[in-house]
Amino acid sequence: MIKALTSIYQPRFARTIVYMLQATEYQLLPYLKWFWRTSDFSRVMHRRQLVMTGPARWLLLAMQTGLLLQYAAGVVFLIWATDSHSYPLAQLALTLIIIAPIVWGHLIIIPLLLGRWIIINPYNLLQIRHSAQSFADHPGTKIAVAGSYGKTTMKEILATVLNEGKKVAATVANKNVAISHAQFARSLKGDEEVLIIEFGEGTPGDVANFCRTTKPDIGVITGLAPAHLDKYKTLQRAGEDIFSLADFLGNKNVYVNGESKQLLPFVKKGHLIYSQKEVADWKISDIKVSISGLSFKMVKSGASLQINSHLLGEHQVGPLAAAASIASSLGFTKKQIEEGIARIQPFENRMQPREAGGAWIIDDTYNGNIEGMLAGLKLLKVLPAKRKIYVTPGLVDQGKESSTIHHRLGAAIAEAKPDLVVLMKHSVTDWITAGIRDKGYEGQLVIEEDPLNFYNHLDQFVAAGDLILLQNDWPDNYQ
Amino acid sequence: MKTVAVIFGGQSTEHDVSIVTALASVIKPLELTKEYRVEAVYIAKDGSWYWDDKLKDISIYQSGEIDDFRVKAPKVHLLFDNELSLVKSSQFAGRKIYRKINVVFPAMHGTHGEDGELMGLLQMANVAFVGCDMTASAIAMDKVLAKQVAEASGIASTPWVWFEAKELVENHTKVLSKAKSLKYPLFVKPAHLGSSIGISKVEKEGELMNALEVAAHYDDKVIVEEGVSNLVEVTLPIIGNDKLTPALLEHPLTKPEDYFDFEYKYMKGGKKGGKGGGTKGSQGYSEIPAPLPKDLYQKAEEMGLKVYRALGCSGIARVDMLIDTKAGKVYFNEVNPLPGGLYAHNWRQAGISNVDLVSKLIELAEERWATKQKLTTSFNTNYLKQF
Repeated sequence: MIKALTSIYQPRFARTIVYMLQATEYQLLPYLKWFWRTSDFSRVMHRRQLVMTGPARWLLLAMQTGLLLQYAAGVVFLIWATDSHSYPLAQLALTLIIIAPIVWGHLIIIPLLLGRWIIINPYNLLQIRHSAQSFADHPGTKIAVAGSYGKTTMKEILATVLNEGKKVAATVANKNVAISHAQFARSLKGDEEVLIIEFGEGTPGDVANFCRTTKPDIGVITGLAPAHLDKYKTLQRAGEDIFSLADFLGNKNVYVNGESKQLLPFVKKGHLIYSQKEVADWKISDIKVSISGLSFKMVKSGASLQINSHLLGEHQVGPLAAAASIASSLGFTKKQIEEGIARIQPFENRMQPREAGGAWIIDDTYNGNIEGMLAGLKLLKVLPAKRKIYVTPGLVDQGKESSTIHHRLGAAIAEAKPDLVVLMKHSVTDWITAGIRDKGYEGQLVIEEDPLNFYNHLDQFVAAGDLILLQNDWPDNYQ
Repeated sequence: MKTVAVIFGGQSTEHDVSIVTALASVIKPLELTKEYRVEAVYIAKDGSWYWDDKLKDISIYQSGEIDDFRVKAPKVHLLFDNELSLVKSSQFAGRKIYRKINVVFPAMHGTHGEDGELMGLLQMANVAFVGCDMTASAIAMDKVLAKQVAEASGIASTPWVWFEAKELVENHTKVLSKAKSLKYPLFVKPAHLGSSIGISKVEKEGELMNALEVAAHYDDKVIVEEGVSNLVEVTLPIIGNDKLTPALLEHPLTKPEDYFDFEYKYMKGGKKGGKGGGTKGSQGYSEIPAPLPKDLYQKAEEMGLKVYRALGCSGIARVDMLIDTKAGKVYFNEVNPLPGGLYAHNWRQAGISNVDLVSKLIELAEERWATKQKLTTSFNTNYLKQF
């Protein structure tokens, strides 16, 4: 208790504040919510540390200077009050000192707001306007990838496969908002044959705006699940925004993930559905899944493809098939498609398998949506192992649906029948536990209060023959 | 929540190895189970006992802070009351802190710990404890006794002789003549020490006296063993009381001369002579499972289990064997009643995680203790009335 109260007066408090701003990507409301909720600031930078970027350095300097000035003013007033025997002045001095961290925890957003309004926003707007012209002038085929989940994976799959026969450029990692698109446009040389642009929706109207800027020729819609519901409010509104990509394309050349049930009400005539059964005119068969990857066949009026991929899980069949279909429509040969797909390696922290002393650990810690979680659990169920362990903290940002979604997750965990379930203790743990228990789970359930300690000592829990699935990571700014 | 006391350190040449075993392979996984309160009990090199949570941190030993700690910290007393309690001064108003112990996990290597002395104390306290009991530990840690017990059970060893250290001073020619019946190369070992301390490989007669003196410097009993041709050394960790579970037969990837070198085994982690390609365990690189023909593997595993039973081991032990691959013969070498680091690297390969291993060992300790409670230990007589 005392430690928590005094944590705001510790020298590292300023650094903690800047870390919190950085971790919330300088979004004011999430930062303020986190600030108001935190009782012990000494435990905030428990798992990660502040990365000293340019903005972080300036904010830290502003915070430290502000705190120092207020403390100094307090001390000066205190000396003055002692000399003049003024009780009100002494009260003012002590108040200045005591409230300094709280005041500067809030005042720090002022330079941030000023910087954003005066410099960053106008500059970004200018960049985005320029990029619209760059995209319009670019001769390459533009493929936009949108959806609540699976975008980055789909983009990487497409980039690897299409790179087999064409010069491809794609947006970097999960940089998928308007300013990232503008930066991407600036990096282009003009001789690229295919551009792959990831659309990261966040607020209503985002996808329509991205379309107007980037002017895609082909669209891929990967899935719809509760995400950013703080802004969209309902799944319907999120779906409408995502499908503005299809509207832009006149409902032609739009690939839609048929396995995302939430997408189906938005599907219109002309959309190309991809799933484990088919994509466009291709029929899919002979799906085989193992810890080293998956394979399947694609057949279309005399043509056939034998797909062998290092990606894990049946849920990857659809995206791989969609990529093969797009490649085929762009004139790629059978050999190019098959070799391109074989070249795809599991993506970092996304169903990424690694072997540790005879045990297999599937790292799916970047998976932050229910559909992806369910797909991973499906894989856990079918893969053979001496002992299966499942680890998750649950999902963040699930809005009002959170209890239902986590109950569903719990039920899916029970159905996957892991021998051991480790839940990282958070606000959603009880809902997951209820889902697990309602399905009559008979294995061992452990609630871990210190995730960092658990992850750091994972090697102590595993042995040869074990299969461990780690799903999602819980950012520091969520409870 | 049950309380487990992990006892480590001790007046032994393997004091430092014991600290690593306790901290990395016992305390950490036990705490991760969240089923036990773990108390660290450290025995310093001078034999004083300490009990404190600070003793769970390796840096206190690495930095030398342990010396300051020992000056300030109260020493531990043991209270026997048909159970074991740790007692220490709270250093406040003369009050004492008591902690009842449900299970003791000895993480001691070598003398005064692994050799049965500590186990005798724990048996007197009637507390459940992990690993071999006093008798099995004493036999296992005496290479001469272990060979004698094994031979009596029909388990083959390479030809060997032994003598007391004082014989070397009193009549060294008699000692040398005893060894004449053996074929070179020979291995000269102190009978009670582990971790390769005081062990020499002797290629010719001229080197023997020096090797004997080295071994006699460390121990009052010295054993001289014949080497094995076409040698493959293997070791087999085993857990269990009545029902035994072997881990995997392990083949250390070391040059023979390095294998008999403490510095190599513990200080260099096998980097000097390791041939690579193997698994890094507590004592350098090794191959797990040992690449042996199926029948020879099976023969060695059977011998390991037989030795474990013959010596009366329980809880955990590791049996070392020597294999003449051309002749297809397996020889018993020695038993280690508390393998360094519990040989957790091997158990992991065998499908038992560190957390599961320590949990299983606690279960085995409680099982043995419960069985012992069923024995009648008193007998009413009129004997005293005669006086």
